[in-house]
Amino acid sequence: MLARSAQGLYWMSRYLERAEHLARLLRLQTETLVDRPLPEIHVGWTRIYDLIGRRPPTGELVALESDDFALADAYTLADDLTFERSNPSSVRSCFALGRENARQMRQCISAEMWTSLNVSYLRLQQREIHDVWGGSPEGFFAETAAAVDTFQGIAAATMYRDEGWHFMQLGHLVERAQILASLLLSQIAADRSVEEASEEGWTSLLRLYHAFEAYTDRYSVEVDPEQVADLLATNQLLPASLVQSLDGVSAEIAAIGPGPHPLSSEETQGEADDLASLLHESWPVRDDTEALLREVNDRCRALHDLVTACYFNYPVAHALPR
Amino acid sequence: MDFDSYDLDRSIYDEMLLPDGTHREHCREVYEALRDLSPEELAVIQERVTRTFSTEGITFTVYGDDEADERIIPVDCVPRVVSSSDWEHLETGLAQRLQAINLFLADVYGEARILEDGVIPVDLVRGCPQYRLEMRGISPPHGTWVAVCGTDIVRTNDGFFVLEDNLRVPSGVSYMIANRKAVKTSLRRLYRSARVRGVEHYGSMLRATLAELAPEGCSDPRIALLTPGVYNSAFYEHMFLARELGADLVEGRDLLVDGGFVYARTTTGLRRIDVIYRRVDDDFLDPLVFRPDSLLGVPGLMEAYRLGNVTLANAPGTGVADDKSVYAYVPEMVRYYLGEEPVLQNVETYLGRRPEELEYTLDNLERLVVKRVGESGGYGMLVGPHASPEERSEYAEQVLADPAGFISQPVLDLSRSPCLIDGRLEPRHVDLRPFVLHGQKTRIVPGAFCRVALRRGSLVVNSSQGGGGKDLWVVD
Repeated sequence: MLARSAQGLYWMSRYLERAEHLARLLRLQTETLVDRPLPEIHVGWTRIYDLIGRRPPTGELVALESDDFALADAYTLADDLTFERSNPSSVRSCFALGRENARQMRQCISAEMWTSLNVSYLRLQQREIHDVWGGSPEGFFAETAAAVDTFQGIAAATMYRDEGWHFMQLGHLVERAQILASLLLSQIAADRSVEEASEEGWTSLLRLYHAFEAYTDRYSVEVDPEQVADLLATNQLLPASLVQSLDGVSAEIAAIGPGPHPLSSEETQGEADDLASLLHESWPVRDDTEALLREVNDRCRALHDLVTACYFNYPVAHALPR
Repeated sequence: MDFDSYDLDRSIYDEMLLPDGTHREHCREVYEALRDLSPEELAVIQERVTRTFSTEGITFTVYGDDEADERIIPVDCVPRVVSSSDWEHLETGLAQRLQAINLFLADVYGEARILEDGVIPVDLVRGCPQYRLEMRGISPPHGTWVAVCGTDIVRTNDGFFVLEDNLRVPSGVSYMIANRKAVKTSLRRLYRSARVRGVEHYGSMLRATLAELAPEGCSDPRIALLTPGVYNSAFYEHMFLARELGADLVEGRDLLVDGGFVYARTTTGLRRIDVIYRRVDDDFLDPLVFRPDSLLGVPGLMEAYRLGNVTLANAPGTGVADDKSVYAYVPEMVRYYLGEEPVLQNVETYLGRRPEELEYTLDNLERLVVKRVGESGGYGMLVGPHASPEERSEYAEQVLADPAGFISQPVLDLSRSPCLIDGRLEPRHVDLRPFVLHGQKTRIVPGAFCRVALRRGSLVVNSSQGGGGKDLWVVD
């Protein structure tokens, strides 16, 4: 397949995955706003801004002591994270970028995929924070996340399993692994800043990954940070666990097969395999969870660069017919 | 819907009604169906048609002062109906015209007999900005310079006339198919009973045409569609056609030339491309030959083309035959090359380069449409009767400054077709752009992109100027 098309599908998936995560995090956060204490609300915002690496429009995030201020802030922050066009990581921007990539690569995806994404995009374009905030923000964020799930479901049901499909999956899995590693790191950091680890933060991570039932089933109703991290990192049955994502990354690269240059192809597959083995081999015997998660994150970034160099931006000299 | 209040003007050809207000025979089914629909029902149909376009993202891009806007072409749900006998006449005329034009192009880039024989002035052809010296001595496969042509045709009380031959990168065919798809599913029963001839096989015809033009010895050609990119106003169409063709949709940066062959950059390496259906203008094809600042093109592409290793459709340099001044000579070309009388007439055209015609133009501005020879899309033209005296005298100055840069034509009473406007049926001016394909033989689907001037009284149908589209039905 055309290198630029493959790259477009890869990025489309990454952006949509990002939009979905952000929408789900915002949904949890809007629920938190209803009845949780202010420090917890503060941790929630910090987690989201850390994840996307952005400074909030209010300057620094400070733990507020007045409900009124916190709620006024919440409106501004939610707008910034959801609709702000100048914020490249807002839900709207990520969705628009995903859709723009799809628009340019429309001939590579099924018509049903395009229609579903385009309709969701048009709907999202019509929304603004004031109408969302005045109604049911939870419902809005749930709908937005569901739009991406629906798109992925339609893709699974309709898309030809060609290279394009595998590049889409690759983008989706790399993004997902990086986000989960970042969220775990952010939660660990949040725990460190307070005297007692917050059970709510970890609970919300479980909910974010549809893992609460799996957790109580496997462990107990008592939420223990170590066990939550373990579950989210290594559970084979959890579709979004780190191990699932990284195993998937390695399998997708194998399915795509070598690029034009043998050395670069070997290196890319090797890195993907090593990354997956971090979870299988190093995670169970780790002494420093944070260091390991940081390694996962760094190596995901390195893998992204390898994929780009191997399949998309390879030097032409390597690919000329002899 | 009632036709009683329909604003029928007996002096203007109406596509559905006869001057006495009864329907034309070939329009019976559509007329009766419209008559039996309530305004509310028709409004629902219109809404459904419009929604199809936004849902499917069938858009074109309009460039305003500072930003590009993704817009939907307004499509009227009431089809324009053409009888099969009219269609046959059009088909014959179009095929004849394209045959003559291809012979003309081979001639002016080859022996130039037509110029030597004085049928067309030498300086008109050689001085035309679209004449490409680089094409001298090149013979494209099967003598096909123009593989895809989108001819603009209008109808008046005197019959059909060719308004313009679009021979470079004509667009609009995706709208022909999209309009059909949206309208036929919204008027299901009528569509079936009216026995409308299909247009949806255009893609496979285009594929067959392009395959016929593959370089010699290439049995299973790899086709690519070269687009200027997503910012081009016709990007939707490029994507649509690439899909229909099973071709790669490439931009210049996806291609490279090595050893005289063209390759596309794929995830597994470079893959050879044999036929390029290019939707990029000549100027931007190859920075080594044409505009050096072009980022859209492929360095070395023309070299590969000259070597016969890749086919470009349409060939570069075809614009010399659709220049608005050269257009005036197409009927002569038909007589000269084919020894036949043209089946389709030109609109009477006065060339600014001829002193007596220039004088006529300047004396009759209020009755004429004046166009710049190098412009298209309805830009830079003066519709005399609709312009103010100041606008006319201002325009006259421009004409005087560069007479050869202008042509004029009488204002035609373009035919009108019923459209749903504000809940009522009202007549609006229409034209049609059928698409003619030529590889080793000519192929034409029975349909066209029918453009409609949606503003009351307007004669300008261009989508960039407030025009819309309509489905066109050729019925048996």
